[in-house]
Amino acid sequence: MVLNSLDKMIQLQRNTRNIRNICILAHVDHGKTTLADCLISSNGIISSRLAGKLRYMDSREDEQIRGITMKSSAISLHYEKDDQEYLINLIDSPGHVDFSSEVSTAVRICDGCIIVVDAVEGVCPQTQAVLRQAWLENIRPVLVINKIDRLIVELKFTPQEAYFHLKNILEQINALTGALFTSKVLEEWAKRETESQASSNSVPGEQVYDWSAGLEHTDDSHLYFSPDQGNVIFTSAIDGWGFGIEHFAKLYSQKLGIKTDVLLKTLWGDYYLNTKSKKIMKADQTKGKKPLFVQLVLENIWSLYEAVLKKDKEKIDKIVSSLGLKIGAREARHSDPKVQINAICSQWLPISNSVLDMVCQKLPSPLDIPAERVERLLCTGARTFDSLPPETQELKTAFMKCGSDDTAPVIIFVSKMFAVDAKSLPCNKPRPLTPEEIAQRREFARRRHAEKLAAAQGQVPLEPTLVGNTSEICPKKEETKNDEQLTSPAENITLKPVIQEAEDKDYFIAFARVFSGVARKGQKIFVLGPKYDPAEFLRRVPLGFSASSDDLPSIPHMACCTLENLYLLMGRELEDLQEVPPGNVLGIGGLQEFVLKSATLCTSPSCPPFIPLNFEATPIVRVAVEPKHPSEMPQLVKGMKLLNQADPCVQVLIQETGEHVLVTAGEVHLQRCLDDLKERFAKIQISVSEPIIPFRETITKPPKVDMVNEEIGKQQKIAVIHQTKEDQNKLPEGVQVDADGLITITTPNKLATLSVRAMPLPEEVTQILEENCDLIRSMEQLTSSLNEGENTQMIHEKTQAKIQEFKQKLEQNLQGRKWRNVVDQIWSFGPRKCGPNILVNRCKDFKSSVWQCLESKCIKDASKYRDFDNSIISGFQLATFSGPMCEEPLMGVCFVLEKWDLSKFLGQGVTEKPEEELDRGETAVLSRDSKSPTENEQFQDDSPETLEKKSKRKGETLLADCYGPFSGQLIATMKEACRYALQVKPQRLMAAMYTCEIMATAEVLGRVYAVLSKREGRVLQEEMKEGTDMFIIKAVLPVAESFGFADEIRKRTSGLASPQLVFSHWEVHHLLTVTKQVISVGLNFSYVPWRGQVGLDASGVLFPA
Amino acid sequence: MSIFTPTNQIRLTNVAVVRMKRAGKRFEIACYKNKVVGWRSGVEKDLDEVLQTHSVFVNVSKGQVAKKEDLISAFGTDDQTEICKQILTKGEVQVSDKERHTQLEQMFRDIATIVADKCVNPETKRPYTVILIERAMKDIHYSVKPNKSTKQQALEVIKQLKENMKIERAHMRLRFILPVREGKKLKEKLKPLIKVIESEDFGEQLEIVCLIDPGCFREIDELIQRETKGKGSLEVLSLKDVEEGDEKFE
Repeated sequence: MVLNSLDKMIQLQRNTRNIRNICILAHVDHGKTTLADCLISSNGIISSRLAGKLRYMDSREDEQIRGITMKSSAISLHYEKDDQEYLINLIDSPGHVDFSSEVSTAVRICDGCIIVVDAVEGVCPQTQAVLRQAWLENIRPVLVINKIDRLIVELKFTPQEAYFHLKNILEQINALTGALFTSKVLEEWAKRETESQASSNSVPGEQVYDWSAGLEHTDDSHLYFSPDQGNVIFTSAIDGWGFGIEHFAKLYSQKLGIKTDVLLKTLWGDYYLNTKSKKIMKADQTKGKKPLFVQLVLENIWSLYEAVLKKDKEKIDKIVSSLGLKIGAREARHSDPKVQINAICSQWLPISNSVLDMVCQKLPSPLDIPAERVERLLCTGARTFDSLPPETQELKTAFMKCGSDDTAPVIIFVSKMFAVDAKSLPCNKPRPLTPEEIAQRREFARRRHAEKLAAAQGQVPLEPTLVGNTSEICPKKEETKNDEQLTSPAENITLKPVIQEAEDKDYFIAFARVFSGVARKGQKIFVLGPKYDPAEFLRRVPLGFSASSDDLPSIPHMACCTLENLYLLMGRELEDLQEVPPGNVLGIGGLQEFVLKSATLCTSPSCPPFIPLNFEATPIVRVAVEPKHPSEMPQLVKGMKLLNQADPCVQVLIQETGEHVLVTAGEVHLQRCLDDLKERFAKIQISVSEPIIPFRETITKPPKVDMVNEEIGKQQKIAVIHQTKEDQNKLPEGVQVDADGLITITTPNKLATLSVRAMPLPEEVTQILEENCDLIRSMEQLTSSLNEGENTQMIHEKTQAKIQEFKQKLEQNLQGRKWRNVVDQIWSFGPRKCGPNILVNRCKDFKSSVWQCLESKCIKDASKYRDFDNSIISGFQLATFSGPMCEEPLMGVCFVLEKWDLSKFLGQGVTEKPEEELDRGETAVLSRDSKSPTENEQFQDDSPETLEKKSKRKGETLLADCYGPFSGQLIATMKEACRYALQVKPQRLMAAMYTCEIMATAEVLGRVYAVLSKREGRVLQEEMKEGTDMFIIKAVLPVAESFGFADEIRKRTSGLASPQLVFSHWEVHHLLTVTKQVISVGLNFSYVPWRGQVGLDASGVLFPA
Repeated sequence: MSIFTPTNQIRLTNVAVVRMKRAGKRFEIACYKNKVVGWRSGVEKDLDEVLQTHSVFVNVSKGQVAKKEDLISAFGTDDQTEICKQILTKGEVQVSDKERHTQLEQMFRDIATIVADKCVNPETKRPYTVILIERAMKDIHYSVKPNKSTKQQALEVIKQLKENMKIERAHMRLRFILPVREGKKLKEKLKPLIKVIESEDFGEQLEIVCLIDPGCFREIDELIQRETKGKGSLEVLSLKDVEEGDEKFE
């Protein structure tokens, strides 16, 4: 049955009952792809000789080189059994941890899965993971124990030993299944318990506690793997054989005259054959009797292997003839025993038959989709199925029916997008033309030629030809060649680039499955994003709405698109399809614009999006990517966008620093992403580096204890003061410092003096500020619009309430003498006017606080000084944007402007204009802190005009100033003042911290702790997950230490622990202290790009270079 | 005169010599390499870290120590340490190739830092990283001039980089408030200096929010002050108009 024709496949697709959607799951290197090869070779797509060597499903170059699968890919196979023809949609998946996201995409669109386990290695970490994934998606598994040949050839087990080994493996797997089952039952039970508690609160009578936990009541026997259930088979994919006990049961029932079903039950287990009475007896281990399985099954295989390996010609011939096989002369003469074994076994016990038999028998067809699974798929988040709108609940029946009639809604789930070369698209493949097509084309070309001529003579308009043309342009090369002979050269030029572009481009094809209804080419369909809510739609749009109408109101997370192309996925090949009946796996072209990674497609808008894919591994390995040539930035950005779409698990982001960061699931995944980026999506040279680690600068309270934990007494304090005095010598002229850190500084033209003090903010306040960043920004906008006198724009009440709440929170946290009234005096936040630093104005008549917007009245008076106000604020913004230590932004610092004296500056204006009537009081208005508010107000009434005149004057004096404009000077002075104010306080760096959640089994707990402590992590809590032996550890870890952390922890724990890192907060790092500008370092600072400000000397001490 | 034998000589290795001529005599001191520059810039404060020995020489390589009377006649004191300090600050140093090299490298990096700080990618409004700028500078074969300030050179680099890649100085966002009378006239004058006008509002006063090249700031400031005679005001809304926060591709 070489090469099933496309028509055959299409015909098979219609028979939903005989479709099996399965995927192969296993730990890495347990033989998934080899098994897939064997199954493919049964369909004649590849030669059976090459099966296991070719790895047909590994179509990528790096997959072939590395020998691991990196993506899931599908192929449709045909299988005939008992007059029934089956269509098997097989999906091969990767086994490496880094690609577990690909497993998720495969599992979602299958109904059953084959779990492959290496007979030698047994259950491995990834086996657990895939089993869990299959369990969570509610799909039925069958077990294949692979590589039995290794037990014979490598381990040299006797059949008896092999039997016990296999039994052991089976027990392990069943134990895992059992654990999954119990945890699920316990979870459900707990849920029910809380529900019943909620309802039974009113009934206090019952006090008896139910200890049963519901485990006893739930039947779990159907879950377990057992050969006598027919859901386990034993194979050697590399040698091409495999069997279930059914095969041998049938064989021996004839030979021994025992009923098949009896044999089926006893062939696996402790039973032995009493040869005398020809009866099967319950075994007694002590008697050393061989179990039936050993005696009847394994020994035969062992003897075959023995004969072939010893090259015992006669015995081989005997076995071959007794089995009734025909071995080709070439294989029989081959010197390599492997080839002979392969030849004999693949005829005797063909692996594809046994595996596909089991698949067809034991795994469900799309029609048998469990109701539980449907409900789970449809319920996003914490909602229960019953809470969905009735229209949506109706869809469940459509799911269950999987109907192919026209009325059935079409529901498709796209689990991932994958890129293919335009060349491999079926429409771009050269294919023989039918005579009609050739004729048609010739006619077409001729007409166009005629038109050209006509156009050249008299300006005859070129009409519809072009419209028809576009559809023909992209497809075939030879077609254009044909055309070229006829068409004019001008036409050629326009055609060629189009074709080339099409070839360079990658096409994205959606990897999808039809759950209900028939998908047709050209059909209009809704694309539902993950956040789409059907209730929203039903509220807005009346019922009885069809996808075809165009005047849809725009609804969030929903789009309408056309299914442009439908493909049958055949491994590396794609075949065009016109329509796809329900229950099939398919590829969809033309969704590139609509679907990012996964989506739900449906003709009925009442369909909710499916629950998001459940990823075992979250991306954690971060790197920064840059083009080798800076001019290639746009290509890189474009490439990264494409990569993001093509890979279900990768994250791509641009950081504030302008870095392009790629977050991947692991090192191997990273390598693949980079290769993809270089060769496929961006097509440029790129370089990869560790991303820049952000830091923050802050100050702390002066220490109460010294280095050896002794209290710092008065004397030492005096010493400290002396030291600061000494430090003052360093400060340039014009800067004065007093004992408690108040900095007084004068502008270069000596006309204005500012006094600034820096104070550390309490941690909670910093946190509040960070959380309310957006609110602060909107406050800022409000204030500025108020200042312009635009009272029309009313503040939304909610916002106002929020601002009020924010203010109260700040007041609560800023208490004590030091902070009295501070909240009312807040002038600005920084950096960028919304950061976690505060500028406070302590001057008495200060009015323009940030809370202005609450009073919602304009303060006209402020505008007079706005020039100066703004300069001061700008200076503060600059200072908070880059700190004095290493030019990192500040955090948690409060700057207090204690005094602000502009008297001299204005005084200058006074002396120059003696004819103006100006008394001392006028100047006092401007030296704001010296007079009481009442007095000020008095003057405010008449001040404007005088001021105006003065500022006229001012404009001229300003220009004459050799230090530049006064506003600029004020900015610079304020900035300097802030910096000095910081430097006289104990400065600290803050390091970014991750919270790290690690799932680990008990035995590797110690190693996890070792890795954490080595990297300066701190464990916060550790608890056991109910019903399993997994521990969940919560820890914090500095970002600087996180590179390679995931990899290290995986290596040290042999993959049994997997961390997840999420940025959490900033933490003052007490080892990173700055005294006299020398930073002593506790962290390994080779990572830190100090932007040239600081160097590192041999002893590991940082110093400003 | 001491006898010059292998046993009583102290070999000084890794020496940088600082020379000074005073009163017709030449004086030298022996310092460690790299440290003299550090001392002069004020980073290094420990004299022992800089000096190999506190004695003043006539010729370091020959090990000839200066005579006391010469010192007194030249410096007016015979306190060797004091004299060493004087020579250190005022004498001439021969900068070693390594020192020069690190200095140039430092400048190179400084320039890159300034450029990265001031510029954005006009398409994304995001800054470039320092590493990328450094690479770009190497690509255009920029050579650092040691006697020009880094800021000046950075401006030069930006100009040159513009030919090769998409880079632009980050714009400054300003708000003008101008009296209506002068507003119209002034606006025409301001126009060539403004890159983008974001909003314009004629009320009682003319209010313009716009983006400008930071290089024009002073010019604009002066223009407004002169034309409006101090009535108009100008406010810096943001110094650098860049995208904030991280952005995820979706």
